[in-house]
Amino acid sequence: MSKVSIEAHQQKPWSLRTRLVVLAVLLLTVSLGLVGFALDAAFHRSSEAGLQARMESLVYLVLGATEVAENGVLVIDENPGDPRLAQPGSGIYASVSGAQDRWDSVSSLGVNLPEPVLIPTGESQFLPASEKTGGYYIFYYGVSWELTQGRMLPVTVTIFVDPQELQPELRAFRSGLWQSLGLAGLILVLAQVILLALGLRPLRRISEDISGIESGKLERLEGNYPVELEPLQRNLNHLLETEQANQARYRNALDSLAHSLKTPLSVIRSSLPSDDSPKTVAMDHAVTDMQHLIATRLQRAAASARSSNAPAVDVKIQLERLVSSLKRVYSQQLINIDVLIEPELAFYGEQRDFLELTGNLLDNACKYGAGQVRISAHTMDTEDDRVGIRLQVDDNGPGIAEDKREQLLQRGVRGDERVEGHGLGLAIVLEIVNSYHGEISIEQGELGGACVNITLKTR
Amino acid sequence: MRLLLVEDDHDLQTSLAEILRGAGYAVDVSGDGIEGLFFGQEYPLDLAIIDLGLPGLPGLDLIRKLRKQERQFPILILTARADWQDKVEGLEAGADDYLTKPFHPEELKARVGALLRRSAGHAQPSVELGPLKIDLVSQRVFNGEREIDLTTYEYKVFEYLLMHPDAVVTKTVLAEHIYEEDNDRDSNVIEVFVGRLRRKIDPEGLLNPIETMRGRGYRLNKLTRPI
Repeated sequence: MSKVSIEAHQQKPWSLRTRLVVLAVLLLTVSLGLVGFALDAAFHRSSEAGLQARMESLVYLVLGATEVAENGVLVIDENPGDPRLAQPGSGIYASVSGAQDRWDSVSSLGVNLPEPVLIPTGESQFLPASEKTGGYYIFYYGVSWELTQGRMLPVTVTIFVDPQELQPELRAFRSGLWQSLGLAGLILVLAQVILLALGLRPLRRISEDISGIESGKLERLEGNYPVELEPLQRNLNHLLETEQANQARYRNALDSLAHSLKTPLSVIRSSLPSDDSPKTVAMDHAVTDMQHLIATRLQRAAASARSSNAPAVDVKIQLERLVSSLKRVYSQQLINIDVLIEPELAFYGEQRDFLELTGNLLDNACKYGAGQVRISAHTMDTEDDRVGIRLQVDDNGPGIAEDKREQLLQRGVRGDERVEGHGLGLAIVLEIVNSYHGEISIEQGELGGACVNITLKTR
Repeated sequence: MRLLLVEDDHDLQTSLAEILRGAGYAVDVSGDGIEGLFFGQEYPLDLAIIDLGLPGLPGLDLIRKLRKQERQFPILILTARADWQDKVEGLEAGADDYLTKPFHPEELKARVGALLRRSAGHAQPSVELGPLKIDLVSQRVFNGEREIDLTTYEYKVFEYLLMHPDAVVTKTVLAEHIYEEDNDRDSNVIEVFVGRLRRKIDPEGLLNPIETMRGRGYRLNKLTRPI
């Protein structure tokens, strides 16, 4: 996938998958957290309601164990029926307050309980644990005890419950809650990852297809993509077509420019008198200069119109074409051209450039050599053959003097000077090498003549 | 030697035809591909010079059509497109050599001469025939050290025979190959040229470089043929 992305100068933005997964994790954490808190609060409320019911039944238990003497003194059994009321510090405390006295359960011995209040008969009140209640759940229940002669004694039963009573229940609920919420989150995240992998598969396919176009295996996006990707496919295909059409148009324009300039130049040259007068020589030089300019500048312009997605050029096939063409041209001279190529070597540039470069080099080698020419081609990087190729052309001619080599290469780069012999062909070669950010050097070859080494970078 | 020049630029066509005629060739000219194809099919040509950018029928198609019809004379491409891609395509279509515009007229003459010699099987630009030495480039004939002065048409006849060393060449064929289509051809004139040529290159009548095959034509003498 990274192959398609444009090289970013700053830090690379996160991949879609990472973004979506991170967002999903954040969203799930927040929403599951909220759900957890809501459930926790609801459970808390319902266990308080349960507590209230239990406290109410404790009230009846205590009332059941209560006797009131005629004089209004409360007589209450030490153990009203719940053993925890008889066990000091058990967490459940009861208190019964009458008009004159008050009874506290055995459990409240040594425990600092808030002072109970009296509430009107027939009312009850539940107070959740808070600072006001001294940290206890409190339940008040107001009754009236009927004494003889129709007198009524108001009595308030108060139940205190330590909040610790609820803790084991809450703890068990909470740990169960968070465990299952965590599990649900994990499952959801995994599902998200799987969904993404499935959902982003067409994107991966389109990026593979674009790589295919890059490497020249495909000409356009032909795959069957989901509806959402169809506009992208359409636009990319349109872009590719426009680029190809523009390039063809540009090249045709250059071609016709070359054609329309060179024919008049031919007329001028063929109309020159065949003498060596200074005028004729000057005219001839002027024509040569223009010829040189057209050849090098048009080559440069054509190189700039090169497609970024040139299909792979089969080096072997193209060199075979060239060699058989050259053998035809030089059929009288018994030239032997050895071709040494790595099997299946491909050049990821323009075929036209490749033919132009090797054509000029081989032509020079045939022209200035003494019948023995050798061309070898290798990839620059055995790991990745898209990086570029390395070419070497050798001949058995007189070679090029050491002091002239630099000069030849220099002139070619300027491209605007008249050069003899290797001149024009080499100037075009230099243009092409420069346009591929390659390198060129001339040395003494194994065959005895000039040996031109070239690298062409296609990445 | 009779050449066909197919070039659509009128000025270039005129000046090239003039240069080639000046070099002693009979030149038929055409400005478009369809007419060029007709000439190529119908005329007894020794070589064709074809521009690639032609109206009517592109040069490459013209070459392919001629080769398909077994027309085997050498073809020289003139092209303004200096690309090797175009050169290779031209050579693959059946051309024998190319010349990129703008070229030197001398270069054109040299290429034409070389192609004609090549098609006749002469690798060297000069031919030796017993004591005779013929320089095909400068079109001069020597007997030992002495240069023989030939007129243009005498040389044309001699050159044609040299280029077809195995063939019996009729007067008509000779006339066809040294005259252009528009010229008034008279094969009797050929007899006059051959007679004068024999007297000039072999004044003593010892070598008999040109044999007369009675009723059939002329042939270069096998005994003195170049090795």
